[in-house]
Amino acid sequence: MHIYISLFLLTALTVTNARAQQRDTLKKDSASRQLKEVVITGTRTLKSLQQVPIPITRITSEEIKKRGLVRLNEVLSEQTGMTILDDPHGQGIQIQGFDPAYTLILIDGLPLIGRSTGILELSRITTNNIDRIEIVKGPTSSLYGSEAMAGVVNIITNEPVKGFTGGLAGRYGTNKTADLSVNSAYKTDKFYISGFVNRYSSGGYTLQPSSGVPTVSPFEGYTFNGKTAYKFDDNTSLRLSVRYYTNNQDSRFLVDDNRYAAGKGTEKDFNIAPVLTHRFSKKDVSVLQLYRSTYKTNSDIRYEDNGSVYDQTYFNQTFNRGEIQNDYALTGNLKLTAGAGGQYETVEATRYTKQQSFTSGYGYFQADWLPVKKLDIIAGGRYDAHSVYKSQFSPKLAASYALSSKLTILGSAGKGYKAPDFRQLYLNFTNAEVGYSVFGYEEAAAGIQRLQQEGQIETVLIDPSTLKRLNAESSTSFNFGYRYKPTDKLYWTTNVFRNNIDNLIETAAIAIKTNGQSVFSYFNLNKVFTQGIETDLSYQLFKPLQVAAGFQYLEAYDQDVLDQIKAGEVFTKDPETNLTKVIKRSDYGGLLGRSKYTWNVRVNYLDEKTGINVSVRAIYRGRYGYKDSDGNGIVNRDDEYTKGYVLVNASLSKMFMKDAIRVQLTAQNLLNYKDSLVILNLPGRLIYAGLAYNFSK
Amino acid sequence: MKTITTMSLALSTAVILLASSCSKDNNDVTPVVSKLTTKTVADLDGSTGNVYYSLSTGTQVTGADTATNKWDLKFKSTSIFVNSGTSGIGTTQGQVVSSTFETLLAAPADGYKADATGANAITGWYTYTADTAPTHAILTVPGKIFVIKTSAGNYAKVEMISYYKGNPNTTTADFADLTKRPASRFYTFRFAYQGDGTTSFK
Repeated sequence: MHIYISLFLLTALTVTNARAQQRDTLKKDSASRQLKEVVITGTRTLKSLQQVPIPITRITSEEIKKRGLVRLNEVLSEQTGMTILDDPHGQGIQIQGFDPAYTLILIDGLPLIGRSTGILELSRITTNNIDRIEIVKGPTSSLYGSEAMAGVVNIITNEPVKGFTGGLAGRYGTNKTADLSVNSAYKTDKFYISGFVNRYSSGGYTLQPSSGVPTVSPFEGYTFNGKTAYKFDDNTSLRLSVRYYTNNQDSRFLVDDNRYAAGKGTEKDFNIAPVLTHRFSKKDVSVLQLYRSTYKTNSDIRYEDNGSVYDQTYFNQTFNRGEIQNDYALTGNLKLTAGAGGQYETVEATRYTKQQSFTSGYGYFQADWLPVKKLDIIAGGRYDAHSVYKSQFSPKLAASYALSSKLTILGSAGKGYKAPDFRQLYLNFTNAEVGYSVFGYEEAAAGIQRLQQEGQIETVLIDPSTLKRLNAESSTSFNFGYRYKPTDKLYWTTNVFRNNIDNLIETAAIAIKTNGQSVFSYFNLNKVFTQGIETDLSYQLFKPLQVAAGFQYLEAYDQDVLDQIKAGEVFTKDPETNLTKVIKRSDYGGLLGRSKYTWNVRVNYLDEKTGINVSVRAIYRGRYGYKDSDGNGIVNRDDEYTKGYVLVNASLSKMFMKDAIRVQLTAQNLLNYKDSLVILNLPGRLIYAGLAYNFSK
Repeated sequence: MKTITTMSLALSTAVILLASSCSKDNNDVTPVVSKLTTKTVADLDGSTGNVYYSLSTGTQVTGADTATNKWDLKFKSTSIFVNSGTSGIGTTQGQVVSSTFETLLAAPADGYKADATGANAITGWYTYTADTAPTHAILTVPGKIFVIKTSAGNYAKVEMISYYKGNPNTTTADFADLTKRPASRFYTFRFAYQGDGTTSFK
């Protein structure tokens, strides 16, 4: 902790001494950007963006700054084919119709842990210290293992440039939301060290002012990030990165008619990763990586009237990994990648009987072959062996073909999987107010037995001894599309996707309690599929003006429901007469929270002479099902959908002092769209003022 | 609004009656005289207490008759009872099947239950919305058709339509507004009673 403070002081001191000014990333000319368009996430090796044969999006820090955005949820919400979901457990991302639990979030290639019912809160992640974000859509389990079923979001942090650099950035606005960052780095030919501190806080907001209860409670979060690297010689280097995030939130609830409960929740996330890279020869590079991540939450909520405990919980998770990867260029046109690793994970929490742990081991292999210059074929697979659930093999085959220098077509097929998580295996939870219980698969037998001894079980619906072992959820996916770049001014991508998902884990009742409530456990139940098309086009209309637009059409259906509809077994009530009708295929709205249509339009105007940049984006999310009001368990009737809505975000900025200072005005949700009963993560119009300063010497 | 609902109800009932008589004409080579009576009961008032109903006579049962086997169904708030077991001295039994009202053309041969403590024959006909809009509402579940075997051994099928006075459209803003929502415990349902002792609902 004190290291960060001294880093902070160091930066503060240098700022006043700064002589030379560093150009802000805002105005980097497009030519140098084109050269740097490489991506790493899709293949775990650096590849050109135009050639890599899987759908991948690359968002640069420059773009993010132009838009005045500072948190990962803000950035992803403006991307084509990505939707931030509003959920009491956090803001997660939906990709190709998958829930947030199926997208892996990485920082510099290493997975973040700490999910609440599968959702990783994206506002936890600052985008102030990053170089770029890479998003791979489609399964990447062949490289990354569990959770990478829908895709991967990889946040790649800044590498410092030579010399002494640093900066300050701040944004403040509506709801007393403040985001402040300080960074500083020093780099020589052999060595670098960099430090970054961010504070993100908000006064929260309420969508129901009369309730006296906040929708989002006030919070205060800090991110500390330190990186250092040393180059022993041309062939060997060592890098260490450390990240710490902590967040405190005050919450207040209305428990029943007139009783309130309030208290504090704390969240702590720590990651440390030493990485050793050694080049055996020009053709052969090995990377040894160690990683430890811990995630802890603590909450103490008490009744306001008498101070008695309403809810006191903790959750401690650890993730440890050792991994080695070797890249070997067998010939000029064939590159082999192989890796192996071991993982040890633990969890200890109020809702678990005792500390639980997983051990797993894995190996992966990939061949990147260019039989002819225009054709790139990538074949690979990964095998995961696990201490608790069945082993998984995830193969993948992908190819891209350059029809011309302007047009590349690409296609891929692969398998993805998501392991049952700790909750699905070990949860031991009884809701104190309503009285239902949920047991993880491994806890079900003991849990039912205990409740029976206590005389709490009325009837057992499914004998726990007959439960089938919980398997990983798995998907088989197909992606096909093209990248078209006829001139430097135009870039057009399209991707058609289909994901067949099997063994989805759902809860189902296994017993009825004497209080009339159910006991639930987890089962591999449903079969669902998602399919659709996504397209994005950007065009430099004339020098300062760039226009762009994206669109996604998505279908996400439960196969079992489709079968039942086909058999005429699903009914609804006509809202006018309240009489039962049979549902047709066309009435079925698919899975909850999936918009059939989403689109966005982006306009950016940059006047290089004055350093003024104007960025305006309109993001449309079509209507989506959010409830089942006619009691048939599916979305079909108009009143079961939200309305579609447009969010308009805009940012105006001007550079001063040879681009060292940026002054910015940012607005989110300019049209002030709200749906206070249904959409809880839209507080209305948000206006921020921002200031950033960068230097180097 | 109310008149429209009533009119549409009447109209749809008429259409259904027409449809069922049509299908009878089409299907039966030698028409038999069916003793099937179909009726829609609007706003059976259970707001002041238990209300009893006889499917065979198509009328409400009141007074001393509520202690006899003359009634088939009893409504009490969100509970529906059949006249047997823990609920009455009759032998009425029931079960709930998944179907539309129109397409259920025969009563199942078995599966009927009498009422027992904590285990009524008729359950699962409504959902309670709790905090989801329209909040705190009782909505009838589609496709839940009660098949009743009366004390006299005759079969009937019943569909619950509404728990609120005037059979309102439950998807409107007015219904969602608790101050404007019509009174509850006014039962609207339709039924078809087969008086000839067969399981046929044709």
